[in-house]
Amino acid sequence: MTDAAAPAREAGVAPKRPAHARPDVFITIDRGTATSAAAVVARVERRWRLLAAAAVPALAEPASAALPGLLLDRVRAADPALAGDLGLDATGQMPALIEAVGSPPAQVVVLAASEAVRRRLEADASAAGWRSIGTSAERLDPLEITRLATRPNVAALIVGTGDPPSADERELVGELVALASGVAERRPGMPIILVGATAALASAFPLGAEVIAVPRPHGEAEADLRALLAARRAGHADARHALVAATATLADVLDLRIELLEVGMSGALRARAEPGEEPGAPARIAAMEAPSAVFGLVDDDAALDRVEAWASVAMDRARLRDRLAELRLAPWADMAGDGALLRGAALRVAVERLIASTPELDGPAPDLVVLAGGAWSSIPPPAALLVLADAVRRPGIVQVALDSARLLAPLGTIEDGAERARVIGELVPDALVPLGTLVIARGVRPGRQAGQLRLAGGEAPMDLPLAGGRLALVDLPPGQAAAVEIGFRAPIDLGVRGKRFALRATGGLAGLVVDMRDVPLRLPERADARRDVLGSWEAALWPDRDR
Amino acid sequence: MSGSPFVAVRPLFVAAPRVRIPLLPGDRIVAIAGASVVAGDLLAERVRDPRLVESDGDGSPATARPGAWIAAEPGRHGTSPAGELLFEHGGRRRIATGPHPDLVAAPAAGRVVAIHPGVELVLQLEGTGIPGAELLGDPGHGRLTLLPGDGDGRIPLEVAHAGAIVVLPGRADAETLTRARAMGIAGAVVPALAERDRRDVVASEARQRAGLHRLAPFPVLILDGYVRRSLAGPMREILSLLAGSEVGLVADPPMLVTAMAARNLPHPDPNRVRVRGGPETGREGRFAGLAGPRRLAGGIVAETARVELDDGWEAVVPVGDLERFS
Repeated sequence: MTDAAAPAREAGVAPKRPAHARPDVFITIDRGTATSAAAVVARVERRWRLLAAAAVPALAEPASAALPGLLLDRVRAADPALAGDLGLDATGQMPALIEAVGSPPAQVVVLAASEAVRRRLEADASAAGWRSIGTSAERLDPLEITRLATRPNVAALIVGTGDPPSADERELVGELVALASGVAERRPGMPIILVGATAALASAFPLGAEVIAVPRPHGEAEADLRALLAARRAGHADARHALVAATATLADVLDLRIELLEVGMSGALRARAEPGEEPGAPARIAAMEAPSAVFGLVDDDAALDRVEAWASVAMDRARLRDRLAELRLAPWADMAGDGALLRGAALRVAVERLIASTPELDGPAPDLVVLAGGAWSSIPPPAALLVLADAVRRPGIVQVALDSARLLAPLGTIEDGAERARVIGELVPDALVPLGTLVIARGVRPGRQAGQLRLAGGEAPMDLPLAGGRLALVDLPPGQAAAVEIGFRAPIDLGVRGKRFALRATGGLAGLVVDMRDVPLRLPERADARRDVLGSWEAALWPDRDR
Repeated sequence: MSGSPFVAVRPLFVAAPRVRIPLLPGDRIVAIAGASVVAGDLLAERVRDPRLVESDGDGSPATARPGAWIAAEPGRHGTSPAGELLFEHGGRRRIATGPHPDLVAAPAAGRVVAIHPGVELVLQLEGTGIPGAELLGDPGHGRLTLLPGDGDGRIPLEVAHAGAIVVLPGRADAETLTRARAMGIAGAVVPALAERDRRDVVASEARQRAGLHRLAPFPVLILDGYVRRSLAGPMREILSLLAGSEVGLVADPPMLVTAMAARNLPHPDPNRVRVRGGPETGREGRFAGLAGPRRLAGGIVAETARVELDDGWEAVVPVGDLERFS
């Protein structure tokens, strides 16, 4: 899904404003699979401002109607004069709604002529947001394939060969198509996507079956397999498509290289955008979804091992598995106490999976990392920065911000690119909660004095020794910035290798964090020692974790 | 404004539920589309350890449709067994076949509305469905019996319960469920079951199926989730009323089915809520309004609500930790 950000492709359709609605106030709703978040946005002193926001469980069905009413009541109670100015003083008057909807996860079965093709097709399906189960003719079990492909949660079947097919694949094409045709007979209405050499065999399928031929999956833009799958998965005003559009707009209006990491209960999204090379040129955006990076998903023992490795709360393995299963059942529940710590561990695993399954987007650290989606909002904001530092071990210097009111997805549905840029540009200070500046150093020996940090922002410069294996924290509140000089005794990798670095750090709820721990991170083998280490790191950025 | 719209809703009743009974390629279908059925009527014979055999096709398009039942017929290489046509390629048929020792019976009275060979049977059941979270095992039916006690590990199972579907209101584990099955009990309803116990129950079922004898279904309906909790008050009221009557347990969607109409079942107060997370887990009370965003233990800020608990205390609970029944 790599493309220049063109408004027609980027987003869903924003609902039209009712004629009676005031043009200077609107309500956003991000209807997720776990929680619905709403916000009231209004023009105050000639710029868009966030007035109120809240999130409630998605299973509370009438919430999407009741939540805006609750927020408007709060605005009226907090500032009756402003509510009067905005025409919100009368109960029942509802401003325009801008809504993004999280599409439920979709499942596809991939039937390929060879293992290499299966891997490629599954990667395409995953990048487009589909969960996939795949098999190939090399290990074909027709009974198992039929059983898998006819399950009610399977929404599509992909049958494919290489492009061009090898001699072995050509021999197998007929049998693969016959098997797929049998599946189509049993599941009328399920789309069958024929890729490569199978595309010429659409006539082998029963009449009435929806057969989509994609002879060259990556050859032509209009027949690109990923784009086709992404369009088929997404519903109206799809939240992830809208987030891609909003990320591109953010890169434009901030003139920064931006990476967005979104994690939710139905999947995850990673998008990287950078401003156009020339003034006025659209931002360049690349985005991939990762359905395997679902928050709290423990689909095998290895996944449970990973959560266990990140858990700073003592819990036996069976209990941990049950708590994670409960998290999947009711993600909005049990958020306090060790529920929050458990979420922190599950979120680290999801982010690790997101990064591992989107290698095409790897690259140097961006200027700004934006954390979006309900999972990030289920832990305190400073802890979110620690989770990012734990899970993405990439040397460099980045600013980190949180889309805490979940505004980006609804704003990304605004069709008109110029209007979207104007609204997002004015709302950035409210929409993105600054978490701070994260510096990750690679190549520092643990336990040793490695260098010195000098911060020249306040009345007097502040010096801080930097030791290997530790986190160094500087309290730099939101809205403040400071010039920082970091000197090391030996050359260190901060994205570029050197001994002396000068940077401008911006403040946030976590401040300036200089991460001198190993890259990649090494944790003790013994569970209690590991929990102690994790606890000490969390104590630094999550001081109220035990309160 | 009533705050209850913000509390997650758990539906208690589904009128005339449409349920799906999954089939495997090779299952022999006995049911007829459109026919009425009563609990226990045979719908299909389940294939066990299905295998794929090849036979010569006769070239007739009428019988070559996948899903068609192919009778046993002599061929050049001996008699090919009866089975379900999976697909045909190059003049050769691939047929799913195997022994059919297990029976699939209707879990409740209703009508067969669709048959998709090798995929599913769809039934429109009469009466009311009471949804749960998951069903382990195949659908089944029996007389509902509500066992006393809140589970100290010694659940009073008796042979007198043979043929019944028992409700275990408190702690249930794999050992108890296996014991229940061995005593001829037809199924169980539990508030929650740990993942480890679910695996043990499923593994036990698989071991039983490895034998050659015919196996009666033993469905286990899990009402809530994985972490131990007691039976919710509104659910207990309904199950108490249904005790002694014939009920069915189905898997897709997971629910208990009764012939009784929803209007004759007890409906809970719409403001009644149950706490499903945090220190007050399992307690019930009355929703008394929103309490606004508050900082919770661990540093999270979340919407909260006031709940008048049944013991008279008022607690402030995160809205996400509440559920109400409707």
